[in-house]
Amino acid sequence: MSAVGDFAVGTEVSTESRTPTAVDLFMFSAAAWLLHRIHYDLPFTTEHDGHPALLIHGPLQGMYLVQSAQRWVGPGATLKSVRYRHHAPAYLGDTLVCGGSVTNVDEAEGTVELELWVKRDDEATTTGAAVFSLPAEGS
Amino acid sequence: MGVITQEAREWADREYPTRQFEVNARDIQKYAAAIGETAAIHFDADAARAAGFRDIVAPPLFPYVIRMQAYGIVDSGTLEPDGSTSDDVPPVPTRRAMAGETSIEMGVPVIAGDVVTVEKRLMDLYEKEGRSGPLVFVDMEFTFRNQDEDLVARERFTRIYR
Repeated sequence: MSAVGDFAVGTEVSTESRTPTAVDLFMFSAAAWLLHRIHYDLPFTTEHDGHPALLIHGPLQGMYLVQSAQRWVGPGATLKSVRYRHHAPAYLGDTLVCGGSVTNVDEAEGTVELELWVKRDDEATTTGAAVFSLPAEGS
Repeated sequence: MGVITQEAREWADREYPTRQFEVNARDIQKYAAAIGETAAIHFDADAARAAGFRDIVAPPLFPYVIRMQAYGIVDSGTLEPDGSTSDDVPPVPTRRAMAGETSIEMGVPVIAGDVVTVEKRLMDLYEKEGRSGPLVFVDMEFTFRNQDEDLVARERFTRIYR
């Protein structure tokens, strides 16, 4: 299990890529009871909202950000807080890459702070930050 | 000259009811499957108990699902044309919704069988001039506590209308 002392500011978070399918988008809308039509109704999305394709949900990208960070810090780390914002729409068919870096290590508090992003090619669609707490010593 | 009228200001003074939401295992399993989680603690009660939990454990951002259902299960005829819940749409001419910033402080995990109390507050309604016209921002806050009064999560969420 990792400990706070194992992390150093500037270290890059391992990247993970996600390419959600139409079924994945539908499952997320259904499980979250997210009824916004731009995630499942293509004629509405193109004709009413002017988008080229169905949109990948903002909260799903937030979840991708948290999942990739959690896998990188390890199962012994506990998410304390997360924030994220969206900069550009992400569309069905896009491959999203999640990554980031360590921005703060607080050994007294036992926390590691990460800056995180979700990118399509080189464009960030979502950026954010998360704080995880970890044990002081590995066990 | 703004798009937030006196009518919109009065709308922003609203109070939302507090809701109670009983979390069942199936809600957690569906959400975990939808986000591609595979860990047994999200699907199997025995595995969750072996890991020290009372029952199946929800993935970290599950409170989002709680508040979507606690406030969003309404007749489809009452929804906005874009499918969003009309309760959350301010009376402004800019009605195309986008998700803005989300900020979540996590407390104790959500476990199947929990009864979570959700408080919803509209914190602020304001506007900024965007590249293609006015943008209206609605700041909401959701506070989630379980049956033991423990904080499960506090979420700040901004929706943008353009």
